[in-house]
Amino acid sequence: MRTEFPRRSLKGLAVAGAAALALGAGSAGAQPKGPPPGAGGPGGPPGGAPPAQDGKIALSAPPNFGPPPPPPTPAEQLLAGLPDPQPGAMFPMPPLPADSPMPGADPHDLRGAWHHNQPLAFRMQRDMYDKPAPYNLEGAKVLARRVNSLKDGKPFTNASAVCRPPGPQWQRDLNMPFQIFPSKDWIEFVFEEYHGRWQVVLDPAKAPRPAQKEYMGYSVGHWDGGTLVVESSDFKQALWMDVDGTPLSANGKLIQRIRKVDNGDHAPFLEIITTIDDPTYYTRPWSVVRTFSWEPSLSVFSEYNCEEQIGDPSVSADAGLLPEPKD
Amino acid sequence: MIKSRPCRGVGLILAGALLSAGIAASAAAQPATPNFEGVWKIATPTKTLKPISGPVPFTAQGRKQYEENKRLQAKGAYDDYDITLSRCNSPGTPRLMLTPERFKIWQQFGVVTFDFEWNRALRQINASNLPAQEDFIGRGLVPTMTGTSKGHWEGATLVAETANLSERTLLDDLVPHTVDMKVTEHLRLLDPDTLEDRITIEDPAYFTRPWDAVVTYKRQPPALFGEDVCLDRLKAHQPVFPQ
Repeated sequence: MRTEFPRRSLKGLAVAGAAALALGAGSAGAQPKGPPPGAGGPGGPPGGAPPAQDGKIALSAPPNFGPPPPPPTPAEQLLAGLPDPQPGAMFPMPPLPADSPMPGADPHDLRGAWHHNQPLAFRMQRDMYDKPAPYNLEGAKVLARRVNSLKDGKPFTNASAVCRPPGPQWQRDLNMPFQIFPSKDWIEFVFEEYHGRWQVVLDPAKAPRPAQKEYMGYSVGHWDGGTLVVESSDFKQALWMDVDGTPLSANGKLIQRIRKVDNGDHAPFLEIITTIDDPTYYTRPWSVVRTFSWEPSLSVFSEYNCEEQIGDPSVSADAGLLPEPKD
Repeated sequence: MIKSRPCRGVGLILAGALLSAGIAASAAAQPATPNFEGVWKIATPTKTLKPISGPVPFTAQGRKQYEENKRLQAKGAYDDYDITLSRCNSPGTPRLMLTPERFKIWQQFGVVTFDFEWNRALRQINASNLPAQEDFIGRGLVPTMTGTSKGHWEGATLVAETANLSERTLLDDLVPHTVDMKVTEHLRLLDPDTLEDRITIEDPAYFTRPWDAVVTYKRQPPALFGEDVCLDRLKAHQPVFPQ
């Protein structure tokens, strides 16, 4: 029986640089505009309750009885001075039709069409527990250099800007659909944006590490119960994990935990927790979480043909961007 | 597409029971959609889209543009007539179907996705009732390299009609077309390991009549494709199409 899909007047789009409307800020993995790292401890800002006005006691955060927060590290001080990232925006997707095909019951069956359903995080400042990203000074310098290059009107080149595969994290984060095609020995993710491809090898004997490193790295996965655990490494170059350039060194690793979630509310989704493991730039591994709604109606991709512009021989192959200094 | 394989023995018993009860086959018992999924490669590599019979039936205007493309090719002025060679631009429809490298076919929700080894290029045939995504920027007025391909099944044959094609692509390495071109394809399995694509070109400004070409592909072993980035080859002054 054929399933009818009603025509929809809206689709989910990330509007980069849109006016400041961050929708869905309460959803898991969203990056709220929090205080800069190091500002305020777990009990709130120091100083206790504000003075009462008009005779009434104003309700406020309880006084902090805990130890004073440690002084900000040099990395935190550097990052505190950066301009805030642009907010992402997201048009809400309409609910699935009542007769929509649904994901398979097998948790190992990730086949389908999916779409990142949260506002795009321009800069991953906090982890999934709302703690500041644990930059060391080297990592903070790299991020600051990238953010300031944009502020100064001299942005650095990066894979996305020159129509190269941007790495798994940014590729998934973009609010454009992708399809998943699993097989016995590997799982292939095919993305609309950058006509991208992310391949997860389940049996390395069938698909060994390539001789040349790739932009998307080499990803090996295994099932841990109903969760697919994927380790990505061996990147061809250092990555920008988001628009502002949250860094991952070429030696960094991403560990992705992927699972299907169906709460019986006719809105199944994919959850991907990504752990960033990169001692070059961070003091410890840290994780972010993203969700991707099940969207069969987005199986038909729009064409993405960035080569037409970037490959134009009459313009700079670096799209007018500057080479980033090497560390 | 997730398939189910009914047990042959149970199927025969059931069919017999239904016939003996005089119950006609249910309208819901549609024949299964053929499965083209797998890895494919062109059987006979070619750079040109050859008509089944006779030469390409150019109009005077089409011949003129074709000769101009030949002249530009001889000069090496690729960006003036073939932006795939000069920029790694998507070869588009139907030229992608002449790729000498492998491609994969996926089928899901009635959408047939072609995933090419060359530059990770993609094209899709929408043989479902899914609407195209809203084109907020182009409003559906801007032609694309692969066009809009609407398909339906006629028995075991996928019939795809593609329109809204940018005139910035070529049919092959030389033959031009206009933005009004329509490409009709009939894709079918000749046997489990041979796929045939019968391509009909219609473009009244450049061709005096519709004309057909046939391309066949042989099934390849399952494989992951390496990450091919054409722009890196271009930057290194290497051929856009690997030799």
